[in-house]
Amino acid sequence: MPVNPQGEAVAPVATSTTGAAQVKARRTRRKLRASALVAATAAAVLALTACGGGGSEAKSADGKVELRFAWWGGDKRAQVTQAAIAAFEAENPNIKIKPEYGDWSGYWDKLATQVAANDAPDIIQMDEKYITEYSTRGALLDLSKYDIDTSKLDQAALDAGKGEKGLTGIAAGINAATILANPAVFQAAGVALPDDKTWTWEDFERISAEVTAKSPKGTYGAAAYGTDEASLGVWLRQNGKSLYTDDGKLGFEPSDIAEWWSFLKELSEKKAVPSASEVVEAEAAPLDQSGLATGKNGLAFWWSNQLPALEKAAGGELQILRFPSKTGKAADAKLWYKASQFWSASSRTKHPEETAKFINFLTNNVKAGEALLADRGVYPNSEVREAIAPKLAKADVKVVDFIDQIKGELGEAPAAPPKGAGAIQEIVKRYTSEVLFDRLSTEEAGKKAVDEMKSAIS
Amino acid sequence: MSAIGELSTITRRKGPMTKEEKKANGRDNKAAYVFLLPWLLGLAVITVGPMLMSLYLSFTDYNLLQPPEWVGLDNFVRMFGDARLHNSLRVTFTYVLVGVPLQLAVALVIALVLDKGLRGLPFYRSIFYLPSLLGGSVAVAILWKQIFGTTGLVNQVLAMVGIEGPGWISDPNTALGSIILLHVWTFGSPMIIFLAGLRQIPVMYYEAAKVDGATTLQQFWRITLPMLSPIIFFNLVLQIIGSFQSFTQAFIVSGGNGGPSDSTMFFTLYLYQKGFGQFDMGYASAMAWFLLVIIGVFTAINFIASKYWVFYDD
Repeated sequence: MPVNPQGEAVAPVATSTTGAAQVKARRTRRKLRASALVAATAAAVLALTACGGGGSEAKSADGKVELRFAWWGGDKRAQVTQAAIAAFEAENPNIKIKPEYGDWSGYWDKLATQVAANDAPDIIQMDEKYITEYSTRGALLDLSKYDIDTSKLDQAALDAGKGEKGLTGIAAGINAATILANPAVFQAAGVALPDDKTWTWEDFERISAEVTAKSPKGTYGAAAYGTDEASLGVWLRQNGKSLYTDDGKLGFEPSDIAEWWSFLKELSEKKAVPSASEVVEAEAAPLDQSGLATGKNGLAFWWSNQLPALEKAAGGELQILRFPSKTGKAADAKLWYKASQFWSASSRTKHPEETAKFINFLTNNVKAGEALLADRGVYPNSEVREAIAPKLAKADVKVVDFIDQIKGELGEAPAAPPKGAGAIQEIVKRYTSEVLFDRLSTEEAGKKAVDEMKSAIS
Repeated sequence: MSAIGELSTITRRKGPMTKEEKKANGRDNKAAYVFLLPWLLGLAVITVGPMLMSLYLSFTDYNLLQPPEWVGLDNFVRMFGDARLHNSLRVTFTYVLVGVPLQLAVALVIALVLDKGLRGLPFYRSIFYLPSLLGGSVAVAILWKQIFGTTGLVNQVLAMVGIEGPGWISDPNTALGSIILLHVWTFGSPMIIFLAGLRQIPVMYYEAAKVDGATTLQQFWRITLPMLSPIIFFNLVLQIIGSFQSFTQAFIVSGGNGGPSDSTMFFTLYLYQKGFGQFDMGYASAMAWFLLVIIGVFTAINFIASKYWVFYDD
C-alpha cells in the first residue's frame, strides 16, 4: 500500500509561525530537508511486499479443534454454507469451523498471501483454474490418504480432482456453461425466446440484435462474451479445438481466438451486445448487479449453478439455455460437465484428520446436501443427490434438470487447466477490450494474447 | 539544563565544544536513544527487516507457495523485455508529470484566494481540505466510479445540454484523465502548507513594492513566488514521491485490473498483480526496488535543481 506522506508534511510548517524571519527560514530549510528524509523513508516502505505471519491458532482453550474454511461467493452461498457448518458442528461438538469468505476477485490474492505466510485456511474452496498451481507446488493435501468416502461420487467428478500429487480436490458440484435468458426482457421487446435445441450463432446474433432494437435505450439483447475464457472454451470446442491440451499446452492458434473476437465485433456493430464502455463497466459488477439480474440484458453467459442466485437478484424467473452451435444441432454445442468447485485442504493443516472429516461430511452427508442444495452445482454424490431431490427449490430443480437433459449431448471432457491457468482470464479480458475499443485488430490481439498465454502457462 | 536551553546553546554556538560539554552531550545522546528505542524497534521489525527481505526476494524466483530460488539478476533483466511494465511506467509518469503540477497549481491558486482575508477562513480551509482526507480512500474512489460512469452524474449533466459523454472511466482514452482529476481534487494538503507559507512572507515587502508602484501581478512574481519557493519545493518533493506510489484510486476505479486495456495500469498496480495474482513475488520485489530507485532519482534531481530556483531568505 502506498504511504501517504501528506500527514507528516503539515506539522513542521504549521508549528513555525513565530520568531525572527531569519531563524525561521533556516529552521524551515532544515525541516524541509528532514521532511524530505521522512518522505524518502516513506517511499522505501513500499518495498514492504514480503509478508510475515505466524501459524494459525490450532486449539482453543476448551480443547476444541478449530478449523478455518475459506470460500468465495455471495450472500446466498454464505447462508447455505453456514447452515452446513452448523449441521456439522452439531454432530461433531469438538470441532469448530471458522468461515472466511469473500468475492472471487479478492479471494485468490488473499489465498496466495495466506499460503505464503504459512497461514492457509484448513479447508479451501478451489477452482479448476488454480488447483494444478496449488497442488503441484505442494500446497494441497492428498485427500486419498485420509478417511473420505469417494465411492458414491460420479467418476468424472472424482477424476477432475486427481493430479500428479494425488487427490487434492473433491468436486463440490457439477455444472455446465450455459446461456441464461431473462424472459421479462424478451417479453417487453415482443421477441420470442429462442429454441436452444436448434439455434445457431447466427440466430444468437439476429435475436439479440432484434431485442436491442425493440428495447429502451441501454437494454441489449445479450451481454458480451470475452470477459473470461469459459465461452472461448465452448467456441473452440465447437471448432474442433480446445483451451488446453492434455499435456498442458494451449490448444488453439491466434487465428482461432481472432475469429472469436471477429464475431464479437460483429455482435457489437449490430448492437446485439452493449458498447465497449458498457462492457468494461459490466465486468466489475458483482453477480446481483449484473446486466441479466438488473434486466439490462436479455441473454448472458453464466455457469448453470449461478441461476438460483441470479433469479434471487433479478426477482423473477430466468431460463437456462444451451449454447448455440454452428450447425443447429444440440449435440454440436459440445458442452461438458465441469467440477464447479473443489473441496481442498491445506497441506500444512495441523488437523488433517478433522479437516478430512469435514470434507467427508460435505461430500457424503445428506444433512450437508440439505443445506447446500444446488448452490455449488448438482451434487456429485448420487445418493445425496437423490435424497435431497424433494427439498430442492424451484430454481434448483431447473438447474438439476438441465444438467440431466444435456447428458446425452456432451462432448469429450476437456483437459484440466495447467499451472498458470489462473492468469488466462485476465489476458482474455484485456485483449477483448483492446479489440472492442478498436485499439488492436483481431489478428494482432490474437497473436499477442496467445503469446502472453503461452508464457503464463509455460 | 532544560531541553529548550540545550537547543538554544546548540543553535547559537560559535566556538568548538569543551571536553565537559562533549561528555554531557554523550549522556544526553544515550538518553535520546533510550527514548527512541520503541520507534527504532518498530523501524527494524516493520520497515528495515521486510525491506531487506524484499531485497533478497528480488534476486529470487519466488512463487509464494514454494521456497524462493536464487536467480541473480534475472528479474531485473526480465523488466527490460516486459512490454506491460513499460506501459505501466508510461501510465505512472503521465500521472505524476501531469497530476502533480496541476494539483500544486490549483492548491496555490486556492491558497492565494483564501489568503486574501476571507471571512470564515477556517471554514473554507476545512472544506477545501476535506477531499485530501477522503481522496485516497476506497469510498471516494467508488464514488468517482459512479460519477464518471457511462450513466453517471457527469454524463447526466452533459446530456442536459445535449452532449453524449463517453464512459469516462471505462474508455481507455479518458480513464487515466479521470484518475488524474481525482488526484488534483485532493489539493487540500499542499494548499494548507501554501497558506502557512504565505502567512510567513513579511508584509513589509509588499508595502515597499506598493510604494514603488508594483502591480499585483508583479508583486506575485517578484515577492510571493520567490518567498514561497521553499514551500513549493517541499510540496513538490512530497507530492512526486506520493504520486509514484499511488495505488488505491487506480485499483478501485479499474476494479483491480488497471483496465480498460491497461490504461490505468499504474506501476504499483502491476507490481501487485505480479506478486499476488500471478505467483511472481520475486519479480514484484524487483519492481519495488526499481520504483525505489526511480523515486530516488527524481528526488535527487529535485534537490539538485532546487539550487537554481529555490530561494532561502537567509
